[in-house]
Amino acid sequence: MEGAYKPGWFARSTGLIVALYLVLPILIVLPVSLTDQRFLSLPRETLSLQYYRNLFSSPEWFSSILQSFWIALGSTTLAVVAGTLFAIAAWRLDRRLVNLMRALMLLPLIVPSIVYAIGLYRYFRWWDLLDRVLGVIIAHGVTAIPYVVITVSTALAAFDPRLEQAARGMGASLPQLLRWVILPRIMPGIVSGAIFAFIHSWDELVIVLFIASRDVFTLPRRIWDGINENVDPTMAAVAVLLVVFTVLLLLADLTVRKKRDS
Amino acid sequence: MTLELHGLAKSYGGFVAVEGADLKVGRGTFLTLLGPSGSGKTTILSMIAGFTEPTSGQIFLDGREVTQEPPEKRQFGMVFQGYALFPHMTVAENVAFPLRVRGMAKAEREEKVKGALDLVQLSRFADRLPKQLSGGQQQRVALARALVFEPALLLLDEPLSALDKKLRAELQEELRALHRRIGRTFINVTHDQEEAMSLSDSVAILNHGRIIQLGAPEALYEQPRTRFVADFLGKSNFLPGTVREVTQGALGVQVGALRIRQAAGAAKAPLGASVLLSLRPEKIQVLEEGEAADNVLEARVVSWSYLGAGYSIIVDTALGPLRLAMSAWRAPFHPAEGAAIRLGWSAEAATIVEDDDVS
Repeated sequence: MEGAYKPGWFARSTGLIVALYLVLPILIVLPVSLTDQRFLSLPRETLSLQYYRNLFSSPEWFSSILQSFWIALGSTTLAVVAGTLFAIAAWRLDRRLVNLMRALMLLPLIVPSIVYAIGLYRYFRWWDLLDRVLGVIIAHGVTAIPYVVITVSTALAAFDPRLEQAARGMGASLPQLLRWVILPRIMPGIVSGAIFAFIHSWDELVIVLFIASRDVFTLPRRIWDGINENVDPTMAAVAVLLVVFTVLLLLADLTVRKKRDS
Repeated sequence: MTLELHGLAKSYGGFVAVEGADLKVGRGTFLTLLGPSGSGKTTILSMIAGFTEPTSGQIFLDGREVTQEPPEKRQFGMVFQGYALFPHMTVAENVAFPLRVRGMAKAEREEKVKGALDLVQLSRFADRLPKQLSGGQQQRVALARALVFEPALLLLDEPLSALDKKLRAELQEELRALHRRIGRTFINVTHDQEEAMSLSDSVAILNHGRIIQLGAPEALYEQPRTRFVADFLGKSNFLPGTVREVTQGALGVQVGALRIRQAAGAAKAPLGASVLLSLRPEKIQVLEEGEAADNVLEARVVSWSYLGAGYSIIVDTALGPLRLAMSAWRAPFHPAEGAAIRLGWSAEAATIVEDDDVS
């Protein structure tokens, strides 16, 4: 911004400290994952890729990665469909009841996930969804809806209502308006929401701890178990992969936003 | 195609946006709804398009009532203020949109799009996105998109307001030529009186939700019905007086200490009536030494400004301040502050208008 005050040394240095505080705990797993020791520690004599090898040769870790991926994919689909439909409906109606609904939709974001997990546990036992992939997909999908609602609503708020008038004036029916005008305009918001929904499921642990036991063993749960039972450095290798994957997703999100803003 | 409005009204809560508009637009007419902001002109257009539901009244299209029809059924072309082009579609895709909606085959669609883009001279830009075009080009895309499906009626909502003055003049000419060439009915909304006069066959002047006067631009300018019309369309001096004398074809109107001879509109006013005279600045002459006129008035120049083609001069007279316009070429005198001059105007120059100035 031109004409604004330039940040002084205080603002600059606090900014740097906060950035380091955010990034350091993430960065520390990188050297740990390359350790030559037999327990979770920094490398002493040499760097080693043995735990990465271990990760990909171990069927447990590999099946957890796959399972997490499919669950994230399923719950993202669920969240995107439900969240987008809701955001569009709320945008079109915009009445008092809808505002209440909007607040309800954001609940999973506000309520502590442990509370949510306890509630889900009760229901899922009735419906026989405990320790089932479908159960985790539903749980993650529902708790990811707020991300989609927020990003899609933001995209819709920027939608020029005259485009709808123009389309109707030219004879477009409601489905044509949705398919050719509204959806393409809010697609960046949908993709953004999908990425967040995916990340949400990808690293969710608390709910999984409650509703899964033997058959569903997602990646975060495998790490959790690993750190409880032994201090296997393979976890650090997993953590690095998780970070890389998440960063890639976030970069994808950035590109989508950039494209939308240009 | 004829469009008729019968007592079309719209109110929002207690606020009356449009108060019973009656209008008949014949086939091939270029009609402009002209008025200041808040006069209800855009609301009328929006009701014709079907975006706004009237509180009462009816809309007829070729004698068939369409008041309850949704906009997508009415099939009017429309150019929006700010154009409302689809930003994610290319120029060609934008223009093809109304055809795609109608399920037209691709080959036929492409041909029509090409024709429409040729019409507005934008064929070269078919593959660009709207944001890569200038304002004037976007405006032309909007026009091509509104015309490509050959609607019987084209609605224009302040189509030129976002453009600079020179471009506006250019596009005004293009729009007029286009209207002549395709012979469809155009309904235009604007607050720009020059645009309204230069484009339209017919102008409806609106104020406070009412149509004050409807007519050809010349008729509105030369015979404004009310003070508002005279003031909004061009500039005018207003002289309130009383009819003191009625002779064959002319009135003697007493304005202050001056008895004005007024011929135009003499039939409208009986003896003793209060009347308001509207006198256009360019119809007041600066008299030379010994020159005579029906009405003569001594004046002193208060201020003046040079406008290239002419001067705009404010003078002080016994009747109060008056504005006059004088051609700069072979001007009878060179304006100077405080200069004493004699003004004259003929008995046909002024018109009698109704005083509707409530402000």
